[in-house]
Amino acid sequence: MRKAIAPIVALIIAGAGLTTFFALRTSPEPVTSTYFLMDTVFTVKTTGGDAATINEHLHALASDVDSMTSYYKAESQTVRVNAAAGKGSVSVSPEYAALLKTAVAVEAIDHGRTFDIAISPLSSLWGFTTKDFRVPSAKEISDTLAYSHSDQLVLSGTTVQLRDSRSRIDLGGVAKGYSLDVMEEYLKTVKPQPQQVIVDFGGNLLLYSGGKKHDWKVGIRDPRGQGIIGYVRSDDAFVATSGDYERYFERDGKRYCHIIDPSTGYPGTLNRSATIITDIQPMHGAIGDALGKVFFCSPAGSQRSLFQTVQGQGVVGVVIVDAAGTRSTLGPITFVSTTAQ
Amino acid sequence: MKRSDRIVGVVILIALMLTIVSWIVMHRTRGAVAVVRVNDKVVATVDLTSLEPQTLHITGVLGPLVIVADGKGSIRVAEATCPDQICVHTIPARSPGDQVICVPNHMVITVEGKGTGIDALAQ
Ligand SMILES: [Zn+2]
Repeated sequence: MRKAIAPIVALIIAGAGLTTFFALRTSPEPVTSTYFLMDTVFTVKTTGGDAATINEHLHALASDVDSMTSYYKAESQTVRVNAAAGKGSVSVSPEYAALLKTAVAVEAIDHGRTFDIAISPLSSLWGFTTKDFRVPSAKEISDTLAYSHSDQLVLSGTTVQLRDSRSRIDLGGVAKGYSLDVMEEYLKTVKPQPQQVIVDFGGNLLLYSGGKKHDWKVGIRDPRGQGIIGYVRSDDAFVATSGDYERYFERDGKRYCHIIDPSTGYPGTLNRSATIITDIQPMHGAIGDALGKVFFCSPAGSQRSLFQTVQGQGVVGVVIVDAAGTRSTLGPITFVSTTAQ
Repeated sequence: MKRSDRIVGVVILIALMLTIVSWIVMHRTRGAVAVVRVNDKVVATVDLTSLEPQTLHITGVLGPLVIVADGKGSIRVAEATCPDQICVHTIPARSPGDQVICVPNHMVITVEGKGTGIDALAQ
């Protein structure tokens, strides 16, 4: 009897030991690369596959989107559209037209009150485009607001026109999310497939495992400190966060963040951060990015109805930290708090 | 003792050793270390468990930065030549995963070590 059991026990222990050892030995180390573009940090962490090559390629794709959409770069289509403001129409690429169309569609969800790609003359007025920060007068703001709305934008197929010569568009509010869309398209085709890729593009995340991982643990950044206030679990997804701590300047102890509320012309003050989780579908990275601004600039009273509007369009959930630090979630997600409110 | 018994014994012993080694590797922890990078290249490493305050002078893309480790486990940017001064206003970093970033200087301070418990940070 004893003789019969001993080898079986040995086999089980040996099996467990060897499995642990080899699982650990063969699980590849993630390769992390950090780049700087679009005025932010771009970090890629790839595990498995040809990780270093994947990271380089993802950076190249982000640079391409930057060259296409940049507010500053001479070769960008945004610069061409803006240069022709009040003069005539400009022909753009189908990709650029599709991105514009997506952005304008998100604006329409809340009638342009909370997100507007044509708000950029106000960003300039506050100094966010030049880094020459200042607090403008109320008159300057209302004067500028008059021509800083997307109703100045005429989009027909791949032809774009800005009616007022002072109007400008800036795709900074969707470009990072759109970059993640382009990256996800590429990652699907990579052979051999990486086990997982985490892209963090200035707070816009792409969580990619080819559909294998369903328990991504996504920390929600404490808007007024280091570390997290809690986390949510997710399948592969795009996770976009708009926060007042990303880019801002301070004057006389007051914080002025870079997200201008299109309904007032002043930096948004209703919330500290809004995090949008969208599923992996074409353009959902860009849509999530834009919706981050929509929810960031929304009062608590309208967030629920806004969510109901977008829930059928790939939005999985929303986490909001308001100006008082109170957290709320929308959608079938569970926010696990790790700190006291 | 039979030959087969001895083989069984040796197999058990090897398996146990492998399990222990694996366990140690998996649970190896280091003290909090802050790594300072400019353009993804490490320019300084600071032991945050050191009780000795430290001041680092590094050069970012835009110009000089002064980084201070307070000797109580925190590290922060004290001075920087950047227009927004966001790095200077950032809460000091102390726990694994914490970062202080100066985008114009392409400078990132990251506290490394196990224990963040999350896959990614929505920020
Ligand atoms: Zn700085």
